[in-house]
Amino acid sequence: MSYDLNRNADQRQILDAAEAMLAGSYPLARLREGASDNLAEASGFGAFLLGLPEEQGGAGFGIVEEALVHVLFGRHLLTPRSLAAALAVRLAASSGDDALMAAIAAGETAVAPAVRSGNGYLLIDPAQAGMALVFGAERLELVRIADAAPEAGLGHDLSIARMPANDGQAIAETDEAGLLLLSSLLVSAQLLGVAEAARDMAVEYAGIRRQFGSVIGSFQAIKHHCANMAVGTERISALLDMAALALSDGREDAAFQVAALRRLAPKTALANASLCVQIHGGIGFSDEADAHRFVKQAHILGRLGEGQPLLDLPAPLVAFSRA
Amino acid sequence: MHLKDTEDHISFRAAARAWLSENVPAGPAPRDGAASRQYALDWVAKCHSGGWSGIGWPADYGGRGLGPDKLVIWYEEYVRARAPSVHDCTFVALNHAGPTLIACGTEEQKAFHLPQILEGRSIWCQGFSEPNAGSDLASLSTTGVVDGDDLVVNGQKIWTSFADIADYQELLIRTEPGSKRHKGLSWVICDMKSPGITVRPIRNMAGTVHFAEVFYDDVRIPLSSVVGGLHNGWATAMTTLGFERKTAAMGMQLDLSVRLEDLIAMAAPKPGSAMAERLADLRAEAAALRAITYRTLFRDQANPSEGSLMRLRFAELAREISETAMECLGAEALADSDWSHLYLESFSETIAGGTAEIQRNIIAERLLGLPREKRA
Ligand SMILES: Cc1cc2nc3c(=O)[nH]c(=O)nc-3n(C[C@H](O)[C@H](O)[C@H](O)COP(=O)(O)OP(=O)(O)OC[C@H]3O[C@@H](n4cnc5c(N)ncnc54)[C@H](O)[C@@H]3O)c2cc1C
Repeated sequence: MSYDLNRNADQRQILDAAEAMLAGSYPLARLREGASDNLAEASGFGAFLLGLPEEQGGAGFGIVEEALVHVLFGRHLLTPRSLAAALAVRLAASSGDDALMAAIAAGETAVAPAVRSGNGYLLIDPAQAGMALVFGAERLELVRIADAAPEAGLGHDLSIARMPANDGQAIAETDEAGLLLLSSLLVSAQLLGVAEAARDMAVEYAGIRRQFGSVIGSFQAIKHHCANMAVGTERISALLDMAALALSDGREDAAFQVAALRRLAPKTALANASLCVQIHGGIGFSDEADAHRFVKQAHILGRLGEGQPLLDLPAPLVAFSRA
Repeated sequence: MHLKDTEDHISFRAAARAWLSENVPAGPAPRDGAASRQYALDWVAKCHSGGWSGIGWPADYGGRGLGPDKLVIWYEEYVRARAPSVHDCTFVALNHAGPTLIACGTEEQKAFHLPQILEGRSIWCQGFSEPNAGSDLASLSTTGVVDGDDLVVNGQKIWTSFADIADYQELLIRTEPGSKRHKGLSWVICDMKSPGITVRPIRNMAGTVHFAEVFYDDVRIPLSSVVGGLHNGWATAMTTLGFERKTAAMGMQLDLSVRLEDLIAMAAPKPGSAMAERLADLRAEAAALRAITYRTLFRDQANPSEGSLMRLRFAELAREISETAMECLGAEALADSDWSHLYLESFSETIAGGTAEIQRNIIAERLLGLPREKRA
């Protein structure tokens, strides 16, 4: 069978192991303490080398497995430094700096994701980070952090810092198409995780909260919100598999599939997150429930880079002219 | 997890494309009536003579027993060649009546009907819905009373697609007097030329005759036409709906991708314009729908309710694409054209085969495990 979208035994094993690690070290409840994630456990798991070839220290898995692990990261709202690390490892490797690559992979050197804003950069979750990975549409850059000024972030619980642009700080950069696509793929994977977790939390609450003598999940208005979340999630989940396989096989439609995925993933994560808030009612609007964290994570991830313009890419399925 | 064309797939694709490019009829298909019937039957006959009719059916019953990988390739090439719509009047026969007979029918039923279907000699329709049993199919009340070797049928069906041009009908009736809901139903083959049947075609909002009302006045149907056992019709009907939602969905969903590419070409939107953004969104959605289709077909453990998810996404996207086309047409949207016709037709997508609301209920209850509604 050469059309097969089942997860094979190796894939199930790595995902089970990743989920066990995340459930143990990164339960959602940790976020209430407000501390920035320490990525040591994820590094110890080998998460940031997972998709690299074995000769570069990888574990013999590929892009598909790495993307699926990032879905789990998204579900656990792991700091987006996890995305920066996965990409920075590759930038360091391609610039030949093996020591830096090893330090990032081992979690010894923290890398904050960054986006351009005005004349400078906004660094996300930059505590303890010595360098930043700047996500752009056409380029990824690894830069050294200097003069970063902390300030309040979205909803006062996102930690950010502002840094003036300084071209002299670059450690490595790339405009290689494969890496840009991988970046879009992994960002989308984490967004999918956010969408899934928001759906699951909403469905769970809909199954226990009672009003008018029934659980609210028996009301169609709520049921249909939940169904919409399921449909939304399924479509980016299927597209993620498709895009990851296309990228990993070097298929011609890889850019198209990734661009389609990258276009839909932020909207879907945000839609599910906001429905999750809505379904929780008053508690959903409070800081004490976790629903708002999905909203914020969706906004953060959605800012990391952007997809290729989809209409510029050739579609894989167009009519052919007949004899 | 992999999606790869093997050598065998590549040559299969080439063969499909070569045959389609020589044989697909040029020009538009007639929209309804006897002309549409003849057109569709001629096309099935042509497919049959080329070895391309019912290729997913088991070889024992005249098919080629091809798996979903080859079927996907066939449908991809099919829609790219702009072959006649898979959703025409042969749809019921090829996609669910035939497969239901293969799964649940007697050898006599199979021997009589399957060759006619594959060779393009019979059209089937589906008589499930009634005026008071649409979304709530289990409340149907058309009756069949056993009388000797026959069932005597009385009642009415409605919204029966192609009833006006069909030879046979998948008819779901209540055969056990006094039975309630899913119990006591039977799935029978009804010959549409039987005495006592009156068909009243209904014009739809797009101006064509697609469906009809069917009245049964002491219609005698031999007991040998019951499929899957007397009073066991609900199980047979679920088998039918299972087929309706799977194989057939493939062609329709892939077709949507091609239709959207046509729209993008027609609209030629200015880069960065609002229309370009909207078309890009639709393109991404069509890619996702295609991915969902592949996922549902190539996964061993697909939950049956994933069919509802796929169907709902298809229905809504089909409507969005047509609505966008109307905007792109500008004033020309007021004229009858393929696009404006498709737009009006697309209103049926979120109604037929289970409404969007019913699909959402199924997804919420059977996929997400939310509690059922309280009944009054
Ligand atoms: C183009 C077309 C072709 C068709 N072809 C066939 C055919 O060949 N054979 C056949 O048997 N039938 C056919 N049908 C019928 C189709 O299956 C029914 O129209 C459909 O199931 C809805 O039933 P209804 O029309 O009775 O609407 P109703 O069931 O009366 O629904 C009316 C409205 O109420 C909503 N509603 C009903 N129940 C619920 C609920 N529990 N929760 C939330 N909302 C609800 C519906 O979603 C809808 O919006 C066809 C219909 C169309 C439009």
